[in-house]
Amino acid sequence: MVDVPERVSPLDAVVEPGVFGANTRSLEVFLSENLCGSLVQVQAWPDTVGAVEKAVQSVTKLGVPKAPATAHSETVSIMQTGPGRWLVDSEVEGLEDKLRGKVSAKNGAVTGLTHARVLIQIKGPKAAWVLASGIAIDFDLTAFPVGTSQISHHHEIGVTIHRTGEENFDLYVFTSFARGFWHWITTASSEVGYAVS
Amino acid sequence: MKRVAAPHLGTIKMRLTCPFCGERDHQEFTYRGDASATRPPMDNGSIEDHNTYVFDRTNPDGEHRELWNHTSGCRMHMVVTRNTTTHKISNCEPVGPWTKALGGKS
Repeated sequence: MVDVPERVSPLDAVVEPGVFGANTRSLEVFLSENLCGSLVQVQAWPDTVGAVEKAVQSVTKLGVPKAPATAHSETVSIMQTGPGRWLVDSEVEGLEDKLRGKVSAKNGAVTGLTHARVLIQIKGPKAAWVLASGIAIDFDLTAFPVGTSQISHHHEIGVTIHRTGEENFDLYVFTSFARGFWHWITTASSEVGYAVS
Repeated sequence: MKRVAAPHLGTIKMRLTCPFCGERDHQEFTYRGDASATRPPMDNGSIEDHNTYVFDRTNPDGEHRELWNHTSGCRMHMVVTRNTTTHKISNCEPVGPWTKALGGKS
């Protein structure tokens, strides 16, 4: 295993716990930043999808989902982000090495993204409304049901969105753009009032 | 001076149907060039053929086959048939090694 430096959140300097915005008596949006234990992208080649699916399944003990559906247990979530491509989020560290041990270069590519993404969680009655104000996809429950994921962007900042509940979303944002995204999402939430934890 | 906008500008929102992600706003995509141009063999073909491939475009007024990449989504390439006058999209089909997996013609 390669030694990597201690993780430092790019949002440390801007995330301030508290209550903000217009209506702080009746909060409708709750924001928090979380660090993934492991975030790994697995990409199969067109003729090795079956082998890679089996490898991911053997490591995560989860069936590999077909987009937009996701698979999740208490500690692991799997999202399909392209043909033969999955994003595996785990609370447990070291998942990248385990997957690399099971997926050979002949079958696919395993890329560690733990340090490359920030996980921002947004929840509350107005969470979908806030996201819809800047991300051009349909957040209605019929178009974006619970337990599915979508990839989109906000002003060129890529974001993978996992709907974990009717009013709960996990947002995976590029680390180097996380502050810009945080600035937008807090500004957009100000209209209804939000809490940061 | 009073300027009059072209009738389609500002009224048509161009949306492309990605074979993997579904219908999305065109801002998620990047234009990758004319899909009707065929590259001559790299080890064959005259200098004129290569010149034509790189520079000569018909610039049609009407339907045009174009390569687009879903850069803010699944990053797949696709061939889009777009009307250059109205921006109406009549077809989006996958291309590349994942074509078959996405239900396109291999």
